Amino acid sequence: MSFWQRITLIPRQWVYSLVWLAVIIPLIFPVSFKISTTPEAQKLYDTVEAIPDSSVVMLTFDLWPNALAETEPMTRTALHHLFRKNCKIVTVTTIPLGGPSLAERVTREMATQYGKVYGTDFVNLGYRANYVSVLKGMGSSIEMIYPTDNSGTILSELPLMQKVKSYDDIAMIFVVADNGIIDTWVSIVNAQYGKTIVAGVTSVMAPKLYSYYGTGQLSGLLGGMKGAAEYEQLVGKPSLAVIGMGIQSLVHFLLIAMIIFGNLGYFMMRRAKKGEGA
Amino acid sequence: MSFMEAFQIWLMAFFTLAIFSFLYRDNPVYRFAEHLFAGLSAGYYVALYMDTILYQQLWIPMSTSGEWWLIFPGFLGILMFTRLMPKFSWLARFGLAFVMGTTAGIAIMAELHGKVLYAIRGTIADQVSGGQVNYVLAAIVVIGVTTTLLYFYFSKEHRGVLGGAARVGIWFIMISFGASFGYTVMGRVSLLIGRVYFLYSDWIGSLSKIF
Repeated sequence: MSFWQRITLIPRQWVYSLVWLAVIIPLIFPVSFKISTTPEAQKLYDTVEAIPDSSVVMLTFDLWPNALAETEPMTRTALHHLFRKNCKIVTVTTIPLGGPSLAERVTREMATQYGKVYGTDFVNLGYRANYVSVLKGMGSSIEMIYPTDNSGTILSELPLMQKVKSYDDIAMIFVVADNGIIDTWVSIVNAQYGKTIVAGVTSVMAPKLYSYYGTGQLSGLLGGMKGAAEYEQLVGKPSLAVIGMGIQSLVHFLLIAMIIFGNLGYFMMRRAKKGEGA
Repeated sequence: MSFMEAFQIWLMAFFTLAIFSFLYRDNPVYRFAEHLFAGLSAGYYVALYMDTILYQQLWIPMSTSGEWWLIFPGFLGILMFTRLMPKFSWLARFGLAFVMGTTAGIAIMAELHGKVLYAIRGTIADQVSGGQVNYVLAAIVVIGVTTTLLYFYFSKEHRGVLGGAARVGIWFIMISFGASFGYTVMGRVSLLIGRVYFLYSDWIGSLSKIF
C-alpha cells in the first residue's frame, strides 16, 4: 500500500484524536498568537465608548447553553466595559433554556466585582415567550411585557425600572446571540424604533450579519471566539477567548494540513488509477 | 466547594464525555445521554409553555387584572388541538388564520422596512461612498448580487447571456458558502475548546479541591 493510499484510509478515530491532542496540549502548555483587531470589533468598542457614562444599556442573553464557549466571554467583557462606564444595565433573553440562568449568574458575578447593586445598577428581566411580540411590545411599554423581573419582583418596585419605560429610555442595545434572533432585533428594534444596536454572535451566525454591519444597521459586530478575543483585548480584560484563540489557531493549522494531505492523497490515487487503466 | 457543586460538575463531565464517546463509535453510554437530553428537553418545554404562556400570559391577566377578553385568544388556542380529532380538525383553521395573519402583518413590515430597503441601498449607495478602492469593491458587490439573483431566476432556461451570468453567480455563491463553512468550522472548534476547557479547569480542578 502506497503512502497516499495510507493517508486516505486513516481511521476517523485517529483524526479526532489528533484534534483532541491539538486542543489539550496547548491548554496545558499555553501558546499565544497575535490577535489583530478587525474594523467591526473596533467599531463596536467605539460605539460603546461613545455613549455617555451612566446611560441605560440593554444587554441581551439570547443564548443556548451549547454555544457558551463563544458567547459567555462576550457577555462578560461587555459587562466589564459597561460597568466600568457606570452604565445601568437591563438584561433580557428570548431563549428559555439557559438564557435566564446565565444572565442571572454572569451579571451577579460581574456586579459583585464592580460593587453594583441589583435594582439600582442592573436588572434582569429574564424570559418572556413569543420573542417577536416581546421585541415589538417593549417599544411601547417594557412593563406591559415584563410585569415582573426574573425573580418575580414587580417592576415598579425596582428603582432603575421606574426610569426605564420603553426603548426611548435606553441608549443602546448590546445583543449577544447564537441564533437568528438578531434578524428580529435589526428589523424591528433598529429599523422601526431607530435604536443603536451592536452585536456579538457565534461564528456560524457571523457571515450573514456582515450585511447588517455594511448597511449600518449594526453599529459593531463580534464574530465568534475571534471577535470575543478582539473585544477582550480592546477592553483590556484578556480572558477565556484570548486563551482559546491560541488553541483555535493550532487546530486550524492541523485541519488545513489534513485537508491538504487528504486532497493530495485523492488526486495521487486518481492519477495512479488512470496510469493503471492506460 | 460544596458537595452539590462538585456533584453538578461531575455530572456535567460525565455527560460531556458520554456525548464525545460517539466519536469512537455509537455505544449505550452515548445513547443514554442522548435520550436523557431529549426527554429532559421535552419535559422542560411542556412545563415552560404551561408557565410562560398559559399561566403568565393568560391566567394571571384574567384572574388579577380582570382581562377576561383574553378568553378569545385562549379559545382560539384550544381550537388548534382539534387537529387531533379528524371530524373537527377544520376548526383549527380559525386559530391558524389568526396566527398567519398577525405573523404576516408583522413580518411584511419588518422584512420590507428592516431588510429589503436597507439591503438595496447597501448594495449600491453605501458602497460607492468613499475612496476609489470602494468603487471597485462596489462593482464587485453589484456584480455578485445581480448574478446571484439571476442564478435563482428559473422562469427562463439558463442559456446564452442569462446562462453566463448565472455561472458567474454560482462562483459568488460558492465563495459565500466557503466563508460560511470556514466560520462554521471555527465555531465547532470553539465549542470543542469550551468543553475541553471545562473538563480541564472545572472537572480536573475539582479533584484538587475534593482530595
